[in-house]
Amino acid sequence: MRPSRTFRQGGIRIEADFEWDQHGPAKNAFLPNGAVLFLKQHAGKQARCVVRRGEYVREGMLIGRGDGPLSANVHSSVPGVVRDIRMAALPEGGTAEAVVVALEGAFDRLGRKGERYLWKSMGRVEVLSSLRDRGVVDTEAPGIPLFDLLGERKEIGLLIINGVECEPFMKAEEYLLRDKGAEVREGISILMRILSPRRTVLATSLAQAPSLPEAEGESLELLSLEPKYPQDMPRQLLEAVDSSRKLSLEDAVILRPSTAFAVYEAIVLAKPMVERYISVSGAALKRPSVLKARIGTPIGDLIEECGGFLGPPARLVLRSALRGHSVYDLDVPVTKTSSAVIALDSAEIGSQLKTPCIRCGRCAEVCPEHLDPDLLFRLVERGMRARAAELRLGDCTTCGSCGFVCPSRLPLVSAFADEARRGREGGR
Amino acid sequence: MSRSKALTMADAPYVFNKRTTSSLMWAMALALMPALGWGVYCFGLVATLPVAASICAALAGEAIASGLRRRFTLLDGSAFLTGLLVGMAMPPGISPLIPAAASLFAVLVVKGAFGGLGSNWMNPALAGIAFSLLNWPAQMSAWSLPHQLAGVSAVSGASPLSLARSGSLDFLGAVKTSGLDGTITDGLNRAIFSPLGADLPGGYVDLFIGNKAGAVGELSALLILAASIVLIARRMIRWEIPASIIAAFGILTWTFGGLGMGKGFFEGDILFSLLTGSFLLVTFFMAPDPVTSPSSRLGMIVYGAGVGSLIFLLRAFGSSPEGSAFAVILMNCAVPALARLDVASSRKRGSRLAEAREGGGDNAHR
Repeated sequence: MRPSRTFRQGGIRIEADFEWDQHGPAKNAFLPNGAVLFLKQHAGKQARCVVRRGEYVREGMLIGRGDGPLSANVHSSVPGVVRDIRMAALPEGGTAEAVVVALEGAFDRLGRKGERYLWKSMGRVEVLSSLRDRGVVDTEAPGIPLFDLLGERKEIGLLIINGVECEPFMKAEEYLLRDKGAEVREGISILMRILSPRRTVLATSLAQAPSLPEAEGESLELLSLEPKYPQDMPRQLLEAVDSSRKLSLEDAVILRPSTAFAVYEAIVLAKPMVERYISVSGAALKRPSVLKARIGTPIGDLIEECGGFLGPPARLVLRSALRGHSVYDLDVPVTKTSSAVIALDSAEIGSQLKTPCIRCGRCAEVCPEHLDPDLLFRLVERGMRARAAELRLGDCTTCGSCGFVCPSRLPLVSAFADEARRGREGGR
Repeated sequence: MSRSKALTMADAPYVFNKRTTSSLMWAMALALMPALGWGVYCFGLVATLPVAASICAALAGEAIASGLRRRFTLLDGSAFLTGLLVGMAMPPGISPLIPAAASLFAVLVVKGAFGGLGSNWMNPALAGIAFSLLNWPAQMSAWSLPHQLAGVSAVSGASPLSLARSGSLDFLGAVKTSGLDGTITDGLNRAIFSPLGADLPGGYVDLFIGNKAGAVGELSALLILAASIVLIARRMIRWEIPASIIAAFGILTWTFGGLGMGKGFFEGDILFSLLTGSFLLVTFFMAPDPVTSPSSRLGMIVYGAGVGSLIFLLRAFGSSPEGSAFAVILMNCAVPALARLDVASSRKRGSRLAEAREGGGDNAHR
């Protein structure tokens, strides 16, 4: 049975134009010959490089040290030689320094059973500083380091583990919950220890709740939510989870299962954040699958591993087909926040012909924030910012629902995103 | 970057619903084909003439307008649909020049001169129909009976609506009914109405199926309703507007409609009024035109109620038996005012939402 619990207003259903190729667990992607490790894979400032060209680095060795708040440590995902340190374009815009490590030498960790650390005897501060040392960031963009995200939070109202994947292009969290349920569960226990939430919920969009081991003295609620987009965004998630509507987003912490898994690896296995589950999908791919890939692997390698393209892809997108970034280059590497690589074919994109607005009202119907995108768009176009702000343009989360349904293909979302950028820069 | 490929860059979102404005227009045109086909079946191939002339003129008008604007809009389906709707509202035997002139006026003056699709404030098809009703009133009411009622050759006859208007008390009796009508009416009476103590007079089944004098595309209530149901189910027509038109028109007709016929209050004939003239085509295919109607639910309901009431008033007291076209055009004028309702309701929803989210907490992420 399809779960029916969801947020109230608006939302869209996105149908898949392709079929997943895989049934078993996620495959390990091949190791990259040259891993491209951005020193900025997190919200804050770029990490300071601590290696030199030609230096030999081991797997998991620190190559960039976090620089101030919201900046995180970066570790090498493969053993090898630092071939290059250069500026490269970030997929989300802007540039940052990247360390290129040519694969060489032996693995310390791969294929070996590591020692397990007993975290239950560790204090809160100790756990947090381990998370900082191992460069653990929230796997959801913009990648806030967990040290910053959790450091000030204690005894919160609600911890939501957000396993909701409401775009057909995403399945990485689902695979992780299935393949590594026990590990994710232990990661959640660690998070619960840090945050001591009054209530903890694992929300998924799966018809069948994942089976996770019980932990003594803890209660983790499992909740299935309707796979309606944007169910995975904070406000919509809170609305669906907190039916009493007493909590605000300030009372809640929302983290992905993949973040809980990274926490488990960092604390229990003392392993830095060097690999992640990633969905590689879209109708332009031969074999859409979920892969476990090293950070720094070029997305071109992942695409090759999924059988390559069926035909020329119309567009390559990172993270989300509705609010991600398009990339033009197969050399773009996987980062800590790359949850998906999506190769869209022209049928998925559909007609791009802009036509005049016919005021069909679909945008307002689907807006999860109760806005009137058509009216806001006309106001923004005419530069009537004050009026647009009065009609709550500031509440727009640029989730992309209005743009998805617009039969006239108006650039609604980019207009709102530009306006939000302008607002931020203007120091509103 | 050896493997770089030229891929297009753009802002999110990157996937889209398959539906576009032009697919919407073509879908509506397609949905009207059965009703048009029935008209052609009833009146013979001659009935295609006004429709073809109308569509050709509309496309020609769009070609001129798109040439002037230097934007190719000929195949977006909008002009085709306008031409089709104008043609379908024409009596079958009319000179093709009249629908052609009407469509040219609709596309060039009403739509093109205001800036093309999306900028017109009046429904172009209805403006074209009103244009011909005003300029050629005699030709626009030269109805003929379908051949299955009239025998082999089409004979001119009054439309049911104009008969009713002329004050004939027993207007249904004045309309010839077909054998099919008798059979179905009998069957319905025996199976449903008699056990309920009611009796369906002859004639309604003909009106419903489309065995009557009328415009080429407006004969069959059955086929228009079927098309509307499909389009509403696929969310191509918003149900609020037709529903509130029918509710307002039905209530007024039932309450006051009997007075003009020498009956009392609450004796109006709703069924007859709904099934005759261009009511259904206008209600389902022209009044809900999104460009010229409000977009909030409240606005749509007020607009629909206005249209329904005006249709009743114009039919009862207007100079011509049909008032649907003018009723919608009059309400089109009110849409900018009704748009204020859109804004008001959007703001109200917003403040409710903010309340539900408890004040200041809603701007922080996490």
